[in-house]
Amino acid sequence: MANGTEITRRDFFKVVGVGGAAATLVGCGAEPPEKLIPYLIPAEEIIPGVGLWYATTCRECPAGCGMVLKTREGRAVKAEGNPSHPVNQGALCARGQASLQGLYNPDRIREPLIRNTDGTFRPVSWEEAEGTVAKHLSTLRTEGKGQRVAFVSSLVGGSLKQLIERWMGALGSHRTFIFEALGYDGLKTAHEILFGLNTIPRYDLGKSQFIISFGADFLETWLSPVEYARGFSAMRSYRDGKMGRFYYVGPRLSLTGANADDWISTRPGTEGFLALGMIHAILSAGLATSLGAPGRKGLDALVATFSPEHVSGITGVPEKKIIELARAFATVRPSLALGGGAGWSSSNATAAAIGAALLNYVVGNIGETVEFQSYSSLDAVSRFSEIAALTEEMNRGEMSALLIHRANLVFSLPEKAGFRDALKKVPIKIAFAEFLDETTAEADVILPMHDPLESWGDYSPRQGVYSLMQPVMRPIFSTRSLGDTLVALAKKVDSKMAGQLPWPSFYDYLRESWSGLQKLLGNNEPFETFWQQALRQGGVWKKGEKETVRLKPEAVQSVLAELRLEPETKASMYLHLYPSNALYDGRGANRPWLQELPDPMTKITWGNWAEIHPQTAQKLGVTEGAVVKITSPFGTVEAPAHIYDGIRADTVALPLGEGHTAFGRYAGKRGSNPMSLISPKPGASAASSSLIPVQIEVTTAHETPASTAGNNRQEGRGIAEAVAISEIAHNAKTAHKELKQHPQLRPPHPHPENRWGMVIDLNACTGCSACMVACSAENNVPVVGRENILTGREMFWIRIERYVENDGGRIENRFLPMLCQHCDNAPCEPVCPTYASYHRPDGLNAQVYNRCVGTRYCSNNCPYKVRRFNWFEYEHPDPLNLQLNPDVTVRTKGVMEKCTFCVQRIRGAKDIAKDEGRPIRDGEITPACVQTCPTSALVFGDLKDPQSKVSQMAQDSRRYRVLESLNTEPAITYLKKIRQDNEV
Amino acid sequence: MKSENTALATYEQIHRDLTRTLEPPGRLYYGLLGVVLVVLAWAIFAWIYQLKTGLGVAGLNHPVGWGVYITNFVFWVGIAHSGTLISAVLFLLRCRWRNSIARSAEAMTIFAVMTAGLFPIIHLGRPWYFYQLLPYPQEGQLWVNFRSPLIWDVFAVGTYFIVSVLFFYTGLIPDLGTLRDRTHGWKRKLYGFFACGWQGTNKQWRSYSKVYLLLAGFATPLVVSVHSVVSWDFAVSIMPGWHSTIFAPYFVAGAIHSGLAMVLTLLIPLRRIFELDAYISRRHLEYIAKLMIVTGLILAYSYAAEFFIAWYSDNIFERYTFVYRATGRYAFAFWLMTFFNVAVPLLFFAEKIRTSTVWLFVISLLINIGMWLERLVIIVSSLSRDFLPAAWGSYKPTWVEVSITAGSFAWFLLWFLVFVKLLPIISINEIKEVWSQPGVREKDER
Repeated sequence: MANGTEITRRDFFKVVGVGGAAATLVGCGAEPPEKLIPYLIPAEEIIPGVGLWYATTCRECPAGCGMVLKTREGRAVKAEGNPSHPVNQGALCARGQASLQGLYNPDRIREPLIRNTDGTFRPVSWEEAEGTVAKHLSTLRTEGKGQRVAFVSSLVGGSLKQLIERWMGALGSHRTFIFEALGYDGLKTAHEILFGLNTIPRYDLGKSQFIISFGADFLETWLSPVEYARGFSAMRSYRDGKMGRFYYVGPRLSLTGANADDWISTRPGTEGFLALGMIHAILSAGLATSLGAPGRKGLDALVATFSPEHVSGITGVPEKKIIELARAFATVRPSLALGGGAGWSSSNATAAAIGAALLNYVVGNIGETVEFQSYSSLDAVSRFSEIAALTEEMNRGEMSALLIHRANLVFSLPEKAGFRDALKKVPIKIAFAEFLDETTAEADVILPMHDPLESWGDYSPRQGVYSLMQPVMRPIFSTRSLGDTLVALAKKVDSKMAGQLPWPSFYDYLRESWSGLQKLLGNNEPFETFWQQALRQGGVWKKGEKETVRLKPEAVQSVLAELRLEPETKASMYLHLYPSNALYDGRGANRPWLQELPDPMTKITWGNWAEIHPQTAQKLGVTEGAVVKITSPFGTVEAPAHIYDGIRADTVALPLGEGHTAFGRYAGKRGSNPMSLISPKPGASAASSSLIPVQIEVTTAHETPASTAGNNRQEGRGIAEAVAISEIAHNAKTAHKELKQHPQLRPPHPHPENRWGMVIDLNACTGCSACMVACSAENNVPVVGRENILTGREMFWIRIERYVENDGGRIENRFLPMLCQHCDNAPCEPVCPTYASYHRPDGLNAQVYNRCVGTRYCSNNCPYKVRRFNWFEYEHPDPLNLQLNPDVTVRTKGVMEKCTFCVQRIRGAKDIAKDEGRPIRDGEITPACVQTCPTSALVFGDLKDPQSKVSQMAQDSRRYRVLESLNTEPAITYLKKIRQDNEV
Repeated sequence: MKSENTALATYEQIHRDLTRTLEPPGRLYYGLLGVVLVVLAWAIFAWIYQLKTGLGVAGLNHPVGWGVYITNFVFWVGIAHSGTLISAVLFLLRCRWRNSIARSAEAMTIFAVMTAGLFPIIHLGRPWYFYQLLPYPQEGQLWVNFRSPLIWDVFAVGTYFIVSVLFFYTGLIPDLGTLRDRTHGWKRKLYGFFACGWQGTNKQWRSYSKVYLLLAGFATPLVVSVHSVVSWDFAVSIMPGWHSTIFAPYFVAGAIHSGLAMVLTLLIPLRRIFELDAYISRRHLEYIAKLMIVTGLILAYSYAAEFFIAWYSDNIFERYTFVYRATGRYAFAFWLMTFFNVAVPLLFFAEKIRTSTVWLFVISLLINIGMWLERLVIIVSSLSRDFLPAAWGSYKPTWVEVSITAGSFAWFLLWFLVFVKLLPIISINEIKEVWSQPGVREKDER
């Protein structure tokens, strides 16, 4: 199903390298915005009306996916995955799709700001701002207080990180920190303890046949969700009567857990012990055949006390289940254990990571499905203990200046860690930032930064993947890139510092650094060729080299020290925090698309919630939407309750991301920040948050969560269907008989040329919802806000319906992408009095906005309820309006709209095919949702062409059509989800 | 109140009694007019607000695309039914008692259609393009979709309105002639213009009777057709709870039911205020009440049949819709409507109740409410829970919808108030017709 890494000719040409052209483009001053095409003399490659694509790298999370940005008339209008990039292979998640709303965010800092004595900011010129900063720095430098300057940056790519370190070195400091709220400390610690490698390996999910995840939510946020989702779908694809198995362990049923064959609910914080119990079972059954005798000796000692029986007592998982899981894990080859959530997300991340890594080690997965390489980008991220130490120093008044680049420490650190107060004790605080977030708001000087989409840079998520970033358009505001600012500042501090940073701009530094990389890669082409090639491709890739991994002799002792064996204080409720699928650690909270994106499990938008098990809710007298007060030893938050059966009765879960007090109009004053519940102590196990007992009180307040879902039960209607794996082979034999033609009152539509259609594989859809944002971005679908969601006025053209099958305790989740079915017998068409809804010769059910008077009869009569009415004139606050796709009408109030199968893309492809005098090729047209789907669950094509992929897939024995009995003859065929037959 | 048995002396007496309504209005009239105008002004304000802001100011959403506005449309079209039923159908059936109430019932019909006609426009997303619903010649050769029931509506309601107005106006001509002869100044000119030179000659009477009979013939099928077409707005769709073959007769019966109730609601105060007991006697009201027993029973049958078919069809969607209708969020409206429309009219089996104007008036109000709720239940409960559970929703009207609904009653009453002071509310010539022997009151023929 995977498209593979090959790149089509067209894809290659559409991605142009701008090289020098863009460099001059960046160098120019701001153009008056009122010009339609912001070029005095149009650049050669710009043709009005034709999209121009630039390859760059997504910087919304540490995964480092490749992106191509479509620009029209000098404006970036759509982000898509770079098909040739090894990480994401053309797909992009919801957050990547929304990167444009970072670029065009109306709350960006538009010019340098300096704090007045009364605490307010005043806009100043770059000259003045840089002068002020340089003066401070040069004083510190001459006083020899360079060491009292620290630089905290968000995770930045190789060259920029080097430059920061070099710059800090020139200043006389080595105090550079890289801050990521989700820094995977637990995972790195585990590998450090066990193998002496402070790194994160590459996990090959696609190769595995059996996956067990100990709290790792790899389909939403964990490490590299797009890459892993693709691998996962490959592993879950049906081949020769088999499909890989996947089990999820943890106190909460996450989206990843919802895609598992089974959710093994463990007591909070005991995931790691389950892994140890499995190792015990594997060793005692003699299944660790690949393990040499010496390594085994220590392991026996380590797991000696963790017999499945004992572990069953700790975790609450039946002994039999543990043994079964262990046997399957060892015998189904290759298998893979993933463990340790993202920092705070797992209640005992280090232990879980140790357990998972050891499991992989014991059965010989390392080198097979787990590839340790010489580095991963996350290695550079500072440990929580280092940040805590810095906070201490700041508190003691030992820091003279703090420089912060795009790192929101005030928001992302536990409130009790006291970073906000410590910051007040630093005399000079300089922020290099795009947004006035909680941390930037405390700064004295704010230097507004380019968005990553306006900057040069590079990023290497792991060895062998060297991804380039290039500006895709002219900066919107009076901002600069961090690299250029640092170089300029060095020149202003003094000549000595300038001498240590002699490059005219960061662009030159980057090129120099890449010429070094070229030599390293053994590439002998002229540099310019290499550079242009890399720019077009989005970077250079080569296969990473595997590191050999050996268990450290002292590992066993360290592990025993790390795992706290004594039982935790018995509390009745524990806290579980997890990064939000849409907002990640909170950095997405100022993107309206992401705020409006329903959480895949709860379908709640615009705000956060506390997940409480129905039983617990009943006990506490909590109802949906009742605001509950959650108190931990470290703080209190209030959040509306969401009754959720995917959580243990002894656990309350909150998503991260909301609760900003600054950060712009979309994020500010919305929900509560659960970081105030977290322990401020780094503890023995780094940032692995050990168990946090909480108390829940019901308040009198009520806040209905803005959910887009009606009901998540199918009511016996057979909407999202599943089939047992054993029945597929049988069905395949009899399938052709089932293709029955329903009698029709009217002659069928002729569809002379094409009949566009889609196949949606429910077995591949993970529910990640990337398609929803991609669709909104491509089709100018407005964001309506919380109030309108509450009254049922969401505008999404595509939605992911989540249905729960709860047969006797086991919860099965099915995700059903629902979009216009482009029916042959469309119920919307005959009822429209004005022919605004009509059937095109190519099978599309079109909506003519100009003809629509807004009777809404079409929507009433649509059994799929995919039509969307413009209840209001929706706003696109400046400069978000620059993102609007010029190929798609912005609809006015009072008209109906809906999915068009991206008719503008069909039109575009047809035009090109016509110019080239050939028919359209299969796969040439990809609607936005299909394009971005990480698991290729959606396939689009011509149903008239029997050779097309979509026609072939529509013959699959798993095919069915939603509400078939209504005889609407939809153009979308669904493939049933596959259910494993028996357990383990 | 005058005793009903008081013999009516002469034609002159009749004339005086029936034109008493046209005398300069009193305080009550102006008070009522003031209230009506204020409510109407408020509704116009609400509508302008809706036009400016968008239809989102109403409680409509996905999936409930229709709500109070369409409820009002169907309700007012329903009200419009009884006028034609009384004036045309009963005329053809030679039920001459209808002569006393035909005029006001017809006026009610016309004003109700004028009210109903507003709602399809008010509910549009872009009312300024309402003309796109009409088949008019234009350059782009765009035509309306004759498969859409909404276009059928345009024609059905439009035809009904035109025929009703013609019928009403034709029936007015002799009275206009009479009024012309007995008034002065601008009124004389006005009545004179519309009287079309009526002299009451034999020839004129002959032509008049023919035209009147012809129009009655025209109007009669419309009684059935209009609400059948309105019902097809729903029945032609595939929505569970709408998609039903019983809808046309069910809606026609419901329309007559509500129309008769509205006739009672209007006539009972009128005959009291203008002391017209002699002309609109208890017996007239009793006939209407008896008719409502019939329509109520038809409705009872329809309600029951809907549930039976939903069960009998074994269609999971139909079944769910009707279980939801009776037990779900809108169950209170469902049970109220069932009680008001079906159970309450059964009280008319008791002679005491159907001859008591107080009871009649109260029950007519309840039926009006019940019939309005019936349309709301059909529209909203079906839409809020259709095929895909994930897309279910709910609906609650907003102040804008409430205001515009109140405004529709004000609009309707405004026209009625104007009518009362401008035209005789009982046909003078038709009353004279049935009083063949002045001074002697016939028993049942009035």
